[in-house]
Amino acid sequence: MEETSHGTGGLTFDKSKRSWPNEMNILLALIIIIVIFEILGQALPYMKDQSFLFDSRDRFDSIFNEARLKIIILQVAIIGIIALGVTQVIITAGIDLSSGPLVAATAMIAMSLAQTELVNGYPNPKAVFGVWAMDLPVIIPVVAGLIFGAMIGAINGTFIAYFRIPPFIATLGMFMICRGIALWWSGGNPVSFPTESFKSIGAGMMPVFWFLSLAVIFHFILKYTVYGKHTYAIGSNEEAARMSGINVKRHKVLVYMIASMLAAFAGVILSAKASTAQAGMGEFYELFAIAMAVIGGISLTGGRGSIIGTVLGAMVFGVIRSGFTFVKLDGSYQLMAMGGIIIAAVVLDQYRQRNKA
Amino acid sequence: MKKTLLATSLVVLTGTTAFSETIGATFSRFDDNWLTVLRNGMVEYAGTIDGLSYQQEDATDDLAKQIDQVKNFVASGVDAIIVNIVDTSAGAAVSAAAGDTPLVYVNREPDNVNELPATQAFVASNEIESGTLSAFEICKNLRADGKAGGATGYLMNGQLSNQAAVQRSKDVHDVIGMDMCNFMTIIDEQTANWSRDEAQDLMTNWMSSGEPFDFVLANNDEMAIGAIQAMKAAGMDMADVQVGGVDASQDALLAMAVGDYDVTVFQDSVGQGTGSIDTALRLIAGEKVDKKVYIPFVLVTPANMGDFMDKN
Repeated sequence: MEETSHGTGGLTFDKSKRSWPNEMNILLALIIIIVIFEILGQALPYMKDQSFLFDSRDRFDSIFNEARLKIIILQVAIIGIIALGVTQVIITAGIDLSSGPLVAATAMIAMSLAQTELVNGYPNPKAVFGVWAMDLPVIIPVVAGLIFGAMIGAINGTFIAYFRIPPFIATLGMFMICRGIALWWSGGNPVSFPTESFKSIGAGMMPVFWFLSLAVIFHFILKYTVYGKHTYAIGSNEEAARMSGINVKRHKVLVYMIASMLAAFAGVILSAKASTAQAGMGEFYELFAIAMAVIGGISLTGGRGSIIGTVLGAMVFGVIRSGFTFVKLDGSYQLMAMGGIIIAAVVLDQYRQRNKA
Repeated sequence: MKKTLLATSLVVLTGTTAFSETIGATFSRFDDNWLTVLRNGMVEYAGTIDGLSYQQEDATDDLAKQIDQVKNFVASGVDAIIVNIVDTSAGAAVSAAAGDTPLVYVNREPDNVNELPATQAFVASNEIESGTLSAFEICKNLRADGKAGGATGYLMNGQLSNQAAVQRSKDVHDVIGMDMCNFMTIIDEQTANWSRDEAQDLMTNWMSSGEPFDFVLANNDEMAIGAIQAMKAAGMDMADVQVGGVDASQDALLAMAVGDYDVTVFQDSVGQGTGSIDTALRLIAGEKVDKKVYIPFVLVTPANMGDFMDKN
């Protein structure tokens, strides 16, 4: 199976037209958005000539405002981990709507196995299980979360691949089931007070470390392994992939399992970061993750998209969120701007695709 | 007065043992922390009353769904309905949906509270108190810290579509508008959607500007805790910042116990829960009830936090 038929509907691959990769456009858009906020920082009278990215108050050793650089990526890292999985699902021409509630359900399960017995000398008021589940090694909640994610993904994948349920419907059902599980788990009560070692896997810049490490790993897997080539092949032309001997059904189950395990891992890290698990967590995460992939140039009809694109798409979200807080505009404007950018990204991309063809 | 109260409660008690009542309740959302405490308390209390069958449903913040749930309760012949209304400006529609079936609003005050029919009543705390108590205490603490010459800070809003969030933020602005507290300036206010993890990110974003600040006020404890976690992660000394919220959740009280959290406000879930079920039972029995029952909020500071440790 050649890599060359990605999303071009079987048209032959013309190397000369690939000289300006799609990812460069997103990078360019990212820079333009940063420049806009930089200008607003200078132009808006109430901003007192603050810089968006540079250290205008001389607080850091470098020329950059390191605190802002960090939060830009930190605040998208957890949804970014989900986006790495949904990117793979969308490349196979599927969709996964269950990831947001899966984050909440996994957070509840993992946190219940990560609790500490004594909180500032008081017995843990939020204890879910008995003493046996207190102060367990950090690996146990993490593995429990990943196993739960793998199960959910296997169910998603099985219904989609073997029972031919459309991915939208199968994962919409799982969306509700997982939110139900999250609410049922502790009757709506938050689960709090984890061990220090559990907190440490989500503390500080750890979410960014996980996000970028996983991004690098999956970038290579998608680009250079059989798993990656099969994923693209199925999305480009499922029938052709089957004809050429790919076990399409089994591969799809695998892709959904990986996506759900990434979402489950995001849930574990989120609960460690917040040091609590709550049934309402992860609201709209599935849609933001899909939006990151879309801004990153993925095609919802499958066969085209990349991890680098999705990471850049996540960065666009991070820059916008920090930028709007920087210029002191509230959440309603952020949503309008992000919505506009998602639509603009697809319009530009389609225009580009048409010109290429 | 006491005798009549005793008599009525006896009537209620005998009434409940003789018949079997059904009460259906609908809550704006099941995943809200404080409402969960309220809900669980109500299930527990209902279990202690002989012959009472009590069921509750989740309106998932959807008013249309909640009105349908009320209609379904009526259709299935419940004896009374308890509503934690999704949208306080839609009282007339919810009241109409109940028809002649007794209905008690709990926790949130519907806009038609003064025009409720004889079969309906309202049990809650007055939301204006909560934000005011919290912000005013912070104002006093800042004065005590010698910052009366000028103090700046941030305000974290709950969900922008939520009445309690809008009211609590308005309370903060009202307090700051008073002569005694007008030395306080809000640098910026943003929503963190009631959530701890969003509050962490929002606070970190604010701190990335490097602007000095003296206080953080949040519409609930979860966001205040998120802000505290972010400030501690950035190496700030929590003794230098006044943090105020609302709820007096256990997580919040433990943060207060170690000196990170300064002010919160207790909303009496047990009082509201048992009060609403009792009122519903009295309406079923055909008694006259108070149309409006206000359960007071209580200010919680390190001085009295011990009293609230096992309450919410």
